[in-house]
Amino acid sequence: MKPCISPNRVAEIACRFSEFKSVNPLPLKVENVCKTYTVKNGSLVHAVKDVSLEIHPGEILGLLGPNGAGKTTVISMITSLESIDQGEIQVFGHSLKTATLKAKQKLGVVPQEIVSHGFFSLKEVLTFHSGYYGIWNNQDRIQFLLKKLGLDSHQNKMVKQLSGGMKRRFMIAKALLHKPGLILLDEPTAGVDIQLRTSMWEFVKELRKEGVAILLTTHYLAEAEELCDRVAIIDKGKIKFQGPTGNIIRELTRKKFEVELKSAYTGADLSGLAKASSGHIISVEMKSNKLFAVVDSQLSLGDFLFHLNLQLADIMDIKTQEGNLEDAFLAVLEGKNKSPQAAL
Amino acid sequence: MMVPFLSLLNREIRRFLRVIVQTIVTPLVSSCLYLFIFGVSLGDKVQINAGYTYLAFLIPGLMMMTLINNSFQNSSSSIVTSKFTGELEDLRVVPLSSQAILWALGFGAVVRGTFVATITFLVGSIFFYFQKGFVLGVAHPFELIFFMIFSGLVFGFLGLAAAFWAKSFDQLGAVNAFILLPLTYLGGVFISIEHLHPILQIFTRMNPLFYIINGARHAVIGVSDVDIGTSIAVVSFSVFVFYWVALWSLRKGSFARWS
Ligand SMILES: Nc1ncnc2c1ncn2[C@@H]1O[C@H](COP(=O)(O)OP(=O)(O)O)[C@@H](O)[C@H]1O
Ligand SMILES: [Mg+2]
Repeated sequence: MKPCISPNRVAEIACRFSEFKSVNPLPLKVENVCKTYTVKNGSLVHAVKDVSLEIHPGEILGLLGPNGAGKTTVISMITSLESIDQGEIQVFGHSLKTATLKAKQKLGVVPQEIVSHGFFSLKEVLTFHSGYYGIWNNQDRIQFLLKKLGLDSHQNKMVKQLSGGMKRRFMIAKALLHKPGLILLDEPTAGVDIQLRTSMWEFVKELRKEGVAILLTTHYLAEAEELCDRVAIIDKGKIKFQGPTGNIIRELTRKKFEVELKSAYTGADLSGLAKASSGHIISVEMKSNKLFAVVDSQLSLGDFLFHLNLQLADIMDIKTQEGNLEDAFLAVLEGKNKSPQAAL
Repeated sequence: MMVPFLSLLNREIRRFLRVIVQTIVTPLVSSCLYLFIFGVSLGDKVQINAGYTYLAFLIPGLMMMTLINNSFQNSSSSIVTSKFTGELEDLRVVPLSSQAILWALGFGAVVRGTFVATITFLVGSIFFYFQKGFVLGVAHPFELIFFMIFSGLVFGFLGLAAAFWAKSFDQLGAVNAFILLPLTYLGGVFISIEHLHPILQIFTRMNPLFYIINGARHAVIGVSDVDIGTSIAVVSFSVFVFYWVALWSLRKGSFARWS
């Protein structure tokens, strides 16, 4: 049989594909950026060291890390608030160094700190802000966003009269006026009540559906786990781990099994199990009629029972606990490849 | 392309209109006091050449004094309050070019300065009418427009630059109190250079505000201590210098908020 695609055709497709890529550059590409602050006493703070990140359209990337890890500094470099000491940042293919305004035009930012506006109402600020993006009449979008964020009844109030949670929502509206393809959210839910937080996340998910790329920093790991397609874990200015959220959890965490037996366990030698399972079983302990085991997250319950040579008839009850992002996060921060799991 | 600039200019103008009482009433009251104390009460005792009353001599000087003060205030307080609220960070994040920011703040300052100077002129004219029984005209209207716009730009740019480098409200206040105010008072607002001690005359001639104030005086009453061409040259050169100073401040200064 003849091959259906000739080598020429393959080359042509490859060429098309690279064209496609240059026509549709990534929403965000951060390459090897570094940032050092000089503090008042003259000492240097290496806030960000050799950080690289990528975000694709319709993807939420969680930038996670403890306080002072460098998250805000990374965001500040993307928003031009801080200069980039080394490396390169591109927004939709526009370099921040050479095409700053074009890059800014594609970018929406919700900063960590609340921005107030002393003299103006919500509607006025949103009108001016649209203007900065070159949109003279943006009333439809303004009304849409105010409504969406539950602020339409406050639109003629002064921004300074809003409560903290409303100011946050207002900042989100401000960041979305020009329909940016990339949104940076720096701890948007810090200090926000649960109800509002939930509705904010729903909104973020809607944006993702529209194909917007989102960079999010948070220290609520449960939220990050639910929301982020990929996470990057940063500590002391360095990216320690980057990948799909599921992979990180699978690779870095362990599962826990608690098996209650009808009578005391008399099967295999427990201490030899780790070896016998080629490392998949990390530890097994026996306490009265219960077996407590910590296993590799790839090991299935069935395989586990097989290794222990247990029959279903022997078993009263089984409890399992999967690892979560928090475990993976702690594992990364502790610098270990696998986390020792806390007791059930 | 003009939309970002016009939006920021619009914001600047509305910002000072929001505090209209503060912006208009304060200079209005102080101008009235000066006009009353110097122009009306002392007026007959002060010698003025060329047959002009002291009041007429005083009016353009006071106009420029309020213009300088208000244009400086407009851009500097805009930047400083934005540092306080975090709005300055917003300005950095949005696609506004340095040029757009510079000219929007510059023209915002021109609008406020011109506005307040015009009010000062009107108040002065009322005093003048009551004293002399006829209306004080403007000898060279285009010259006046030129001096109001160009001086407004100079002090708008200066205010922008000072506010960018200021680390606190106090530092900005110091620029105003120790540099701008003395230069204004010693710039020939109240007295003609001929009546000064020769040494003071030399200092006065080194003060750029002297040329600005006398330029406006020429525009309004047609007489001046200096050649009008020199005044025009000094103001134009100042716009050029402070444009670069302000641009440099925008590029090198910090947009970070005060915490
Ligand atoms: N303007 C600054 N000057 C000096 N040091 C700074 C500045 N901003 C941040 N840092 C330092 O850089 C590090 C990273 O801070 P940041 O990016 O704010 O962390 P995060 O947002 O992850 O909590 C911290 O050690 C912080 O103290
Ligand atoms: Mg932060």
